Amino acid sequence: MNIIEVQNLTYSYPGAEEPVLQNLSLEIEKGDFVAIVGNNGCGKSTLCKTFNGLIPHFITGDFEGKVTVDGLDTRKADVGTLASRAGYVYQDFENQIVRPTVLDDASYACMNYAMEDYRERGREALSLCGLEGREDDYIWQLSGGQTHLLALAGAVSLRPEVLILDEPIAQLDPGHADRIYGVLRELNEKYGKTIIVIEHHTEYIADYCRHVVLMKDGKVRWKLPAREALSRVDELRECNIFPPQVTAAARKLLEKGVSLPDGPFPTTVEEGRRYFAGLSWNGEASVFQKKEEDGRSHEQKPAAVEFRDVTMSFRSVKGEDRIVFDGLNLKVNRGEKIALIGSNGAGKSTLMKLMVGLLKPLKGDIWLDGENIRRKKTESLSQKISLVFQNPEEMFIKDSIEADIAFAMQARGVAHWQERTEQLLRQFRLTGLKNRDGRLLSGGQMRRASLAIGIALNPGILLLDEPTANLDMATRREIMEALEAMKDITETVMIATHDMQLVCEWAQRIVVLYQGRVVADGSRDEIFGNEEITRLVGIRSPEIFAMGRALDDRAYCYTVDEFAAAFAGGTKESGKVVGR
Amino acid sequence: MEMKVKKKLSENILDKFTIDFLRSQVLKNAYGNDDTVIARLDPRILIVWYLFLGLIPWFVNDVFFLMGCFLLVVVTTMLARVAGLVLFLFGIGVFSQTGYLFIATLLFGGDASAIAPLLTLTLKVACCSLASITVFSGLDPDRLSNGLMWFGCPERLSFSISYAYRILPMLMEEFQNILLSFRLRGNPPQAQTFRGKVKYLAYQVKTIMHAFYPLMLNTAKRSRTTVEALEIKGYRLAATDKRVKKMRLASLKVTWDDLMFLAVSFLWISLSILISTIF
Repeated sequence: MNIIEVQNLTYSYPGAEEPVLQNLSLEIEKGDFVAIVGNNGCGKSTLCKTFNGLIPHFITGDFEGKVTVDGLDTRKADVGTLASRAGYVYQDFENQIVRPTVLDDASYACMNYAMEDYRERGREALSLCGLEGREDDYIWQLSGGQTHLLALAGAVSLRPEVLILDEPIAQLDPGHADRIYGVLRELNEKYGKTIIVIEHHTEYIADYCRHVVLMKDGKVRWKLPAREALSRVDELRECNIFPPQVTAAARKLLEKGVSLPDGPFPTTVEEGRRYFAGLSWNGEASVFQKKEEDGRSHEQKPAAVEFRDVTMSFRSVKGEDRIVFDGLNLKVNRGEKIALIGSNGAGKSTLMKLMVGLLKPLKGDIWLDGENIRRKKTESLSQKISLVFQNPEEMFIKDSIEADIAFAMQARGVAHWQERTEQLLRQFRLTGLKNRDGRLLSGGQMRRASLAIGIALNPGILLLDEPTANLDMATRREIMEALEAMKDITETVMIATHDMQLVCEWAQRIVVLYQGRVVADGSRDEIFGNEEITRLVGIRSPEIFAMGRALDDRAYCYTVDEFAAAFAGGTKESGKVVGR
Repeated sequence: MEMKVKKKLSENILDKFTIDFLRSQVLKNAYGNDDTVIARLDPRILIVWYLFLGLIPWFVNDVFFLMGCFLLVVVTTMLARVAGLVLFLFGIGVFSQTGYLFIATLLFGGDASAIAPLLTLTLKVACCSLASITVFSGLDPDRLSNGLMWFGCPERLSFSISYAYRILPMLMEEFQNILLSFRLRGNPPQAQTFRGKVKYLAYQVKTIMHAFYPLMLNTAKRSRTTVEALEIKGYRLAATDKRVKKMRLASLKVTWDDLMFLAVSFLWISLSILISTIF
């Protein structure tokens, strides 16, 4: 039985010339777990908003065609009725929470629709979403992941058959992401809910979803079972979606002429274990890959930044102050590319704010280029060190990106600041957009602009907080290219991130923060090869790394290319599939 | 030695008075004291109590009675565990109302006899302010808005109160981050000399004003989702639905504690009236 049916839907936003959705048809079966994928701006969110009646009831515009949800024509039902059929969780879920306490927010919709048992429904929804015991907490006491679960509970409380989630894990660390998907799986399997996610983390699609819908230019290109869908590597790439690394590796090996079993490519490590079973590790290739890392040394280069016994705490609303760091010691050497990893709330952003002097440590000292910065003002450090915030909106303080880029140079009377601004605009391909307000740009443009702002003063040290969060493949590549282009100016770069692919491709040194301590500090091999650490901190190593090690314990591959090089050489028993 | 302490003190105050501090104080004030005696009282009882202590003192000039009211609200303010910043602002407020008059009187040759009339006025102001502080900061915003709704205030007003408290921490965080952006990239004047200090202050004020523009735009961007979410959650529908109002107010209950609170307040006020008639 189909729970959602879309027939020949064409929709354009009020005032827009081009329709966002063009003659789109789609059927979704009851009880399915579907991922909708597609590049930025292809109409995924718009489509999902037609399922709960926000379009056309709340957001008007030209609406042609028909959408039925659970047998109801969305044009004929009102938003309230539809909300109890299809629940929606936004990408910026924290703005969806309108009440101060947890139970209150979870039951708010039920109360508004005058359901007598609204409290029980709220409680039930909270327990389904794994928030039992947090009923009386205030919403700001929740972590990012828990806040997302609360937004989900708010939708679940109306007992809808369909749950729609827009990029549920974009801002979360892997531990929280797994938890969200765990809850979704339970809602799907145990309670028979139909789940629709807009998602571009294909590893999660491979692990949890049953079907994939690919959208392009306002149309549904196809809807296929997940494994088959993810095997279509070229089509996904064309739409700026990273296929799972394991799948991409199979594709790469095939290109290299390695004989592999017929049928769809593997999409998870488990499937890969069987699929690649015929391959054997060709040790030399990997040794070759590792050479550059061995040349690295901590001691010789002078320190750019040094933390000496730094203690830092924040006031909390109730009770004791929250201690973020207790006697932290860390040395960042000149010329290093450091990735700072750890779960949400481990202190990554705090560490960066301490380095630029925006926060002052409670105890201990921070040295920058051989100077103690305790008595220094942030403003006087900004020619040496710069920080790009996680949220680019917070970096736009003027009304055009040109003015934003020029701001710091103008304030310091830097010579030729006009030329330099122009050059930066060119370098980051923003010249055509220079008069626009930063907030109105697309995600990728916003990131580029924030980078340009960050390096305007030619800082020797650059700190980036989550530079690749929420980006699709094309935009992410752009950011990587921009980082590469800045190499000559910024000698030392530190990136705080959950993006392990970025870590593996880019970083020379990895610093792992856990509960305010540096629990590990070293090369990729030292971090990802250390199971104790990955388990303790909840690091989800890149899939390709897990794949390599699943095939051969000695294989340390961090990118698809490395994997292909390491396993392309030899095949055991000439390519036949051998089960283990 | 004294200089050193003074210097340390002034540094300390400046250090502490940041947006972060403001944010934590606002949060503390709104939500940090939900386990106090005052917070557990029925909001309707407290509103009635407040109407008495916030209005009556204005019409009475008897020092004993005013003193009685004042002591009562001091006790309730202590019970409500009000955040330090609010009390500090209260202190400044009272001084700016009357305290400076006393100093002026002394300077221009007045003597202690000026105290009596000033004391009455000060007590009135203090009594009303502390009563307001007890109610508005001791009660959690949500209970307060429920109480107001019971007295017939429109649903939109009561929603706004609780929603304002919901987004206030978010707004302040956003504001703080924008100010950080200004600090990262701006270049304030040197603050060594007196002139420099004045300039520095002017620069800071200007920065705060400039920060409002991005704050407004960022907030507008966020509120798009909020508006849609409210629609889905039936907010518009509920505003006109009588049943919803009844359901919300069903959570209000007058208990023995409320009656005790009223009785104690009543006894105390009666006692002070009694004393004032005796003298």
